Amino acid sequence: MAMIKRIGVMTARVLNQLRRDRRFIAISILFPLIIIYFIKVVFDVLAPPSFNISAYIVPYAAFIVHFIAFILTAIVLVRERTAGTMAQMFVSGYRQIEIIIGYLLAYTVLATLQSLLVLLELNWLFDLGFSAVQMESMYLVMWLLAVISMAIGMLVSNFARNEGQVFPFIPLVILSVILSGIIVPVDKLPEWAQVLGYLTPLYYANEILQELIRGGTLMDSKLNLLILPVYGLVVVGMVAISLREKD
Amino acid sequence: MSTAESITAQDLNKHFGRIKALKKINLTIDSGQIYGLLGPNGAGKTTLIRLLIGATKPTSGKLSVLGYDPVKQKTLVRSQIGYMPQSPALYEDLTARENIRFFGYPHLNKNFSKRIEEVITFVGLNKRANDQVYKFSGGMKQRVSLACALVHQPKILFLDEPTTGIDPQLRETFWQHFRDLASQGVTILVSTHQMSEAMYCDRLAILHEGTLLADEPPHQLLWNKKARIKILRDNQINEELVSNYPQALPILLQQFGLDTNINRIEIEEETLETVVLSMMEDQETSEGSN
Repeated sequence: MAMIKRIGVMTARVLNQLRRDRRFIAISILFPLIIIYFIKVVFDVLAPPSFNISAYIVPYAAFIVHFIAFILTAIVLVRERTAGTMAQMFVSGYRQIEIIIGYLLAYTVLATLQSLLVLLELNWLFDLGFSAVQMESMYLVMWLLAVISMAIGMLVSNFARNEGQVFPFIPLVILSVILSGIIVPVDKLPEWAQVLGYLTPLYYANEILQELIRGGTLMDSKLNLLILPVYGLVVVGMVAISLREKD
Repeated sequence: MSTAESITAQDLNKHFGRIKALKKINLTIDSGQIYGLLGPNGAGKTTLIRLLIGATKPTSGKLSVLGYDPVKQKTLVRSQIGYMPQSPALYEDLTARENIRFFGYPHLNKNFSKRIEEVITFVGLNKRANDQVYKFSGGMKQRVSLACALVHQPKILFLDEPTTGIDPQLRETFWQHFRDLASQGVTILVSTHQMSEAMYCDRLAILHEGTLLADEPPHQLLWNKKARIKILRDNQINEELVSNYPQALPILLQQFGLDTNINRIEIEEETLETVVLSMMEDQETSEGSN
């Protein structure tokens, strides 16, 4: 019970900070929307009218959400370390798992809003013509991906001593666009690259999204839909193991 | 003042790779004492404090904080200690009150809100408690940081250079707070590199390059101080370095003879600073010769 209360206090503190940090909110909410708008401009110029835009734009949007959620979480958590507040939380009696879950819950609120706005913008700009059920299913996938991205951001933050050390991890996330099948089908990649693709959450998210775009339902991607939360839990477990008060 | 032991360290060593941050430290701190850790930057003060709060493990040696092992019984130790880091670790977007509430929450039970108000009053933050911390000066942030360390009524307070970068007036206020807390039975371990503050401590440990050079009341350290006596007579200066100048001065004057035309006598006593510096020099010389 005490642990749940402490998680609640942690979540409330992070949300309270988010509420006051308008710049952070603007970056995490507006940036994906702006990038998607520019993708629309590019597609309008380059793509022929017969081009099936949904197969590309929905996974692209998922990647943008994935990338921004990852980088913002990583930087915020590293900032906790450099400012000394992470160490102070430990000394004050908060435990690893309370810090992790508290952060995840608070940022999930942000991810929920972020994924929703992105999907609404996609539908408005590209006139995707999906049913309500399809949209809801896509929303679930994007939301799950955003939460997993935050957990990955937390994991990376445990291996960085300052904000600058987060940047070498960025190419890894960008590489996942190629490996996950968003641009090129995974089975067209060399076998070793296919294996790497299975390590990215974007691969599973893209597989489900493509099934939904083809008119399928979530039930048609049961396995991938199961893998995503398991993937998230494994990452959270790794965060818990690696989040330490450092020497 | 009670004499129960709050903290003990036996043959404590801490190495970071090849760097020996602390070498065979032995110390005992009694309850209700203000125990000063004096030493230059890099002497090992912060490392010692981090060991005592369980933030890092000793390479070897034994540690006891309130009878517990700070690494193995971290939770028990932390519920009874407060820690104020060198630079305030606060959430700048939050108000002073929100910071105190957040950092105090895990160890606060009864009368939670009342205790927060008490500590806000104690550190003199009443008028600014609802202001966001980023609007505060360095000194105000230190006050919030102290309040965060105090809010759960710890038995031991670890203060890592708490008065660095604050004005003399606030420094005096802080030391008044420390004395008030010690009189209530709180043990205070305070690190500093300011000699002027060292005199406020009940006991003083001098750390230099990871070695404990002295561990005694500050006035005892000064008992051994030397004095330089300058006697100007017949336009000549005679200088003598003596250990106990009240005894040495009459003997010196007798040597000169009472009919001597003495123009001036100057007595320059060693300060705590010079005592400490000469101890450090002696240590460096002895290490160099070994």
